[in-house]
Amino acid sequence: MRLPWQKHSTPETRASLEPAHNEFAIEVNGLSKTFGDFTAVNSISLSVGHGEIFGFLGPNGSGKTTTIRMLCGVIAPSGGGARIMGYDVVTESERVRENIGYMSQKFSLFQDLTVDENLKFYAGIYGLSDEKFAERREYILTMADLHGRENEMAGDLSVGWKQRLALGCATIHEPKLIFLDEPTSGVDPTARRQFWELLHDLAASGVTLFVTTHYMDEATHCNRLAFIYRGDIIAEGTPAEVKGDLMRDTILRVEVDRGEDALTALEGSPGIAEAYMQGSMLHVNVGERTEAEADLTGLLGGLGFTVLGVEPVEPTLEDAFVHLVTRQREVSA
Amino acid sequence: MSWRRVRLLIWKEFLQLRRDRSMLPIIFIMPVLQLILFGYVIGTDVKDLRTAVVDRDGSVESRLVVDSFVNSGYFLDVAHPVDEAAMQKLLDGNKAQVAIIIPEGFSDLVREKRPTEIGIVVDGSDSKTASVASGYAQQVVAALSGKLYPGRLTASSSGVDAQVRVLFNPTMRAVNTMVPALLAFILMMSTQTTMSQAIVKERERGTLEQLFVTPIGRAEYLIGKLVPYVLIAFIQITLVFTIGTLWFKVPFNGNLLVLGAGLALFALTALGLGLMVSLLSRTRYQAQQATTFLMVPSMMLSGFVFPLESMPKILYPLSYLVPLRYILVVVRSNFLKGSGFVALWPQFLAMAIFSAAIFGFGLSRFRKQLND
Repeated sequence: MRLPWQKHSTPETRASLEPAHNEFAIEVNGLSKTFGDFTAVNSISLSVGHGEIFGFLGPNGSGKTTTIRMLCGVIAPSGGGARIMGYDVVTESERVRENIGYMSQKFSLFQDLTVDENLKFYAGIYGLSDEKFAERREYILTMADLHGRENEMAGDLSVGWKQRLALGCATIHEPKLIFLDEPTSGVDPTARRQFWELLHDLAASGVTLFVTTHYMDEATHCNRLAFIYRGDIIAEGTPAEVKGDLMRDTILRVEVDRGEDALTALEGSPGIAEAYMQGSMLHVNVGERTEAEADLTGLLGGLGFTVLGVEPVEPTLEDAFVHLVTRQREVSA
Repeated sequence: MSWRRVRLLIWKEFLQLRRDRSMLPIIFIMPVLQLILFGYVIGTDVKDLRTAVVDRDGSVESRLVVDSFVNSGYFLDVAHPVDEAAMQKLLDGNKAQVAIIIPEGFSDLVREKRPTEIGIVVDGSDSKTASVASGYAQQVVAALSGKLYPGRLTASSSGVDAQVRVLFNPTMRAVNTMVPALLAFILMMSTQTTMSQAIVKERERGTLEQLFVTPIGRAEYLIGKLVPYVLIAFIQITLVFTIGTLWFKVPFNGNLLVLGAGLALFALTALGLGLMVSLLSRTRYQAQQATTFLMVPSMMLSGFVFPLESMPKILYPLSYLVPLRYILVVVRSNFLKGSGFVALWPQFLAMAIFSAAIFGFGLSRFRKQLND
């Protein structure tokens, strides 16, 4: 019997017991998950190379966590399949789980266990030898800056420490692939920056990282990205590629009084492709027009708003995302 | 299945239990407190006591005795054993709670207007039922005396004397029936409460999610959860047993093997229910509410607080759905009468069916839940 993924394999590779060391760390093919009538993930496909930092972006509820749970072999897909480090997520889920690290936004440590006990527990679960554990413990305590806090309860640590300890526990068995589900949510900017430095170090040592986030600024840390929206991947590529087709458009950043009202007034106005708030600023996509600042100021002035400043800006990933979502809505409408 | 991982999970669970300041008092103080609280309870109205009649006389007069008992509304004529040995069996198996023995020559003595005796045997293993039953029996016999011996009205000079003998628990101390019942009840409370919290707690904290992306299998996780709580329940019932027999001086006439087997089987139903609650609840608070919700009918419909006989007829069939009902018969009968597997097999069978059904359902939910 030939299994689907053996289509291209030669007799020699099929004969070896080790799974064929794939070109990709993650290979996803038409992966779907439905809960009753609801399609959480709609036949997505993607591949992630070894040593890449792959960003999986999308708003809450778009299917990010469901996808990760399928890729980790925790829940079974409704359709399609995926191979993780060469192992099939359905038929070889235990192998998958032995070969990956996983860290969620909850930093799922045992709050009522000490730092040391948490490390000891995970080391035991992955079957580390005593010598190996001693070595990894030392490395993690240094990495997470937790020397001297070995006997503190994990629950009493500050968020930054918790996050780094969680990363330590998730990587105690030195997996070559780590899934990080919103690893920086609720963490202050300094700790976030430190955390990304750790991730870059890991990637530099050849570890593949699959990171979900809804912080668009963090997406720039990634080698490649995929945007997921309502279960569909609506864009994939390097940050520059994702921004790609948007580069032709002009994005104007507008400082205006009563931003929310101005946004409502602008929606549907002629010559305005998209308008949305980004922080306290109004971002307006005026399409391929240039020199539209005066028009816009006039338009808003005519509607009774006071424009404090208008300037063209480089499209950010967030601009790209809003653009893609708008286009997706138009397609499905 | 890796025992190394199961051992780690158990080690972790005990560490967490040791640090949970609210758990230790619950584990050790609750059983003792309940032992004291439930030690004495108020008597209640008992009706339709299952009554076995040994009629050695077989006369119009002896039938009048039986009718008087039945017409009082408190006694239900359920069997006519041929001799006292057969009667004893009915009492052992809880098929009869009261037995009336009408001696041979009863009618002759009544006709000759000479004083007579009838024997009343009451199962004292349920002390409330026993005390109420013997009280009723005496009333019935007193009224009967008036009918059979017209003119001799005072109770002191009554013609028929009721010789009431309370079997198994001659002193009718409430605590003698309460302590065995508490073994089962505390076992249920403890395992159901802790188990229902166990999984939902890990889900709330996100550690459940984390554990299932490690190589830990579902069976390993489940065993790692069950073992600590079974051990704790075992410590608790040992505590209740020890205090009950040494401090409350409840006589133990049973067999530890029968008692242990019954409690173990019952523990499975409680663990299964706890597991189900834990899987169906989203938060710990919900799990707690659901557990309380399940506990109340168990207490009310099992004969734990109120005798089954005092229950409205309409509700009575519901008692068959309460596993506690069966284990109560087992622990009380074994503790006080020394009843063994032979007499108690229907209860064992019922519990086996319950634990298989509840646990089976709990396990399938557990699989399904983690798959979605």
